[in-house]
Amino acid sequence: MTNRVLKWILWIVLFAVLAAYPKLFGIYYTNLFVTFAVFAIFSVSFNVLLGYTGLLSFGHAMYFGAGGYGTALALKHIQGLPLLPAVLIGLVSAVVLALILCPLVVRVSGTAFAMLHLAFGQLMHMLAYKLRGITGGEDGIGGFPIPAFSIPGVVSVDMKAPENFYYFAVIILGISLWIMWYFTKTPFGQIQVGVRDNAMRIDYLGFKVPQTKAVVYVVAGAFAGVAGSIYALFQNLISSGALDIFTSFTPITMTMVGGIGSFFGPVFGAAIIQIIEELSTRFTEQVELVVGLILILVILFAPMGFVGLVWSLRQKWSARSVPAASLGKAS
Amino acid sequence: MDPKTAMYVAQGIHGLAYGMILFLVASGLNIIFGMMGILNLAHASFFMLSAYFCYQFISMTGNFWVALLLAPVATALFGILLERFLLRKIHALGHMGELIITVGVSLVILAGVKIFWGTESLPLKIPPVLTGLVSIAGLDYPVYRLFIIALSLVVLAIMALLLYKTRLGKIVRAAVSDADMVNALGVNMPLVFMFVFGVGTWLAGVAGVAIAPILLVFPGLADQIGMDAFVVVVTGGFGSLSGAFIVSIIFGLLSSYGVQFLSQLAPLLMFLFMAIVLAIKPTGFFGERE
Repeated sequence: MTNRVLKWILWIVLFAVLAAYPKLFGIYYTNLFVTFAVFAIFSVSFNVLLGYTGLLSFGHAMYFGAGGYGTALALKHIQGLPLLPAVLIGLVSAVVLALILCPLVVRVSGTAFAMLHLAFGQLMHMLAYKLRGITGGEDGIGGFPIPAFSIPGVVSVDMKAPENFYYFAVIILGISLWIMWYFTKTPFGQIQVGVRDNAMRIDYLGFKVPQTKAVVYVVAGAFAGVAGSIYALFQNLISSGALDIFTSFTPITMTMVGGIGSFFGPVFGAAIIQIIEELSTRFTEQVELVVGLILILVILFAPMGFVGLVWSLRQKWSARSVPAASLGKAS
Repeated sequence: MDPKTAMYVAQGIHGLAYGMILFLVASGLNIIFGMMGILNLAHASFFMLSAYFCYQFISMTGNFWVALLLAPVATALFGILLERFLLRKIHALGHMGELIITVGVSLVILAGVKIFWGTESLPLKIPPVLTGLVSIAGLDYPVYRLFIIALSLVVLAIMALLLYKTRLGKIVRAAVSDADMVNALGVNMPLVFMFVFGVGTWLAGVAGVAIAPILLVFPGLADQIGMDAFVVVVTGGFGSLSGAFIVSIIFGLLSSYGVQFLSQLAPLLMFLFMAIVLAIKPTGFFGERE
């Protein structure tokens, strides 16, 4: 059997499992999967910044929150707004925020970039927390209408049913992952990696480093916005908690656990963290202890995360000397 | 004395006391970063841990002064264990790993505190000498705030003597500018790193004990001050103690007068200040490196 056929079979199996998932596992796990999808998009958008361009952000929750608030405010104040424009408004509000900040942040890199994001992230969190008139503060904006997914005259799907929302989230996850994956495979994506590895050389080759960073930054912000938007729709609530430092650390943790050197690492990371949290809440109340210990163990014994672990195992099995996979230079 | 001046002075004392506490925490964070390049995100957790140790020692011995001496030392021991058995092992992997592992440690400390002491707020008794008000030149000052300021100044003096008058201080200062070179000159750097990490967590521990009687001892104790200390280090510049000192005092006063005049927006002031400083000078006030 050729590799090609095998690949097709794998795709078909994946689609079948995804399609049958709500029927197989019931409503509880369906909702769990939607949460996973949200954080998978969020983490992958974070990894486009960190893994591919070498920019560590401590404030990626800004864009998550911007997307969530954009969608929530639009649905609350515009009567009869359809679903896709609402998500688009979330995306656009994150993009606008990224465009405002990017002239400032693309000038720096490394620790200064991380710190600047910590500052702006906390500023946004405080603004959302204090401007109760607009954002609702800690209580947030809730109970806004969830429109049906409709193409006029063709189809209308009620999004309040968890099963329908699951399919919607899976499709958004698929599209987002595909676009970001495609983005990193273009020649532009190669320049991105070049900026990470040796920015000065890329500069000498005639590419514009700050502009490259700016484009990547806006794309990463946009998809974090999409994740936030879906999250707000799913919870039917967005509050200042979505902007806090823990939300910013979530994609960092997921990326580290999944594997910083690969595109799909953060997706695995999101799944693993989700499963661990789910299992640990079932057996013990000390979720923090479990997550903390896992972080420590991952760094000590599998610093390249889950994907790195799989790679090294595969290398051991095939017992050939494959050149070591290039480690994330971001560190 | 008219009440307005009294208010200004009282808020000033509160601000100074908070600024000093902030400086104790921030200087520990800063000294560790300046020398080892490690951003210790578990630093505030050590601060909280020390407050719990203080509670434990007081309930065991009934003496605040014993707790003030022993709790920071016990905290420093935990810090040394963290450096020796976790951070040293992963140093070669770069800063991302160190960052994440300190996040893991802070989660474990939080969970450990909840297991041993529960989640309720624990009150602390302080000796009667430190309670009440003292009247100087017609104005009343809360004794405990003055005690905090004095304690911080003593610790600051000890640190300054250690850094600028001893051989060890010389090694530390040299290591801040180039640790590899100092190592090559035959100094046992891993030992110095361990010691410096211990001193850094000891400073956080002193601050934790000092603040415990004002705020109650509870698991969320670390949240506020951890963020504030982080902001101080970033704004003052990484590795710069004088920067940390100035910014700590500014932030202490900013927060106490801010609460007085713009109660709602007071927490915003600090982050706004940081955002402006970083936008103009990304390395912070006195920072030279990124």
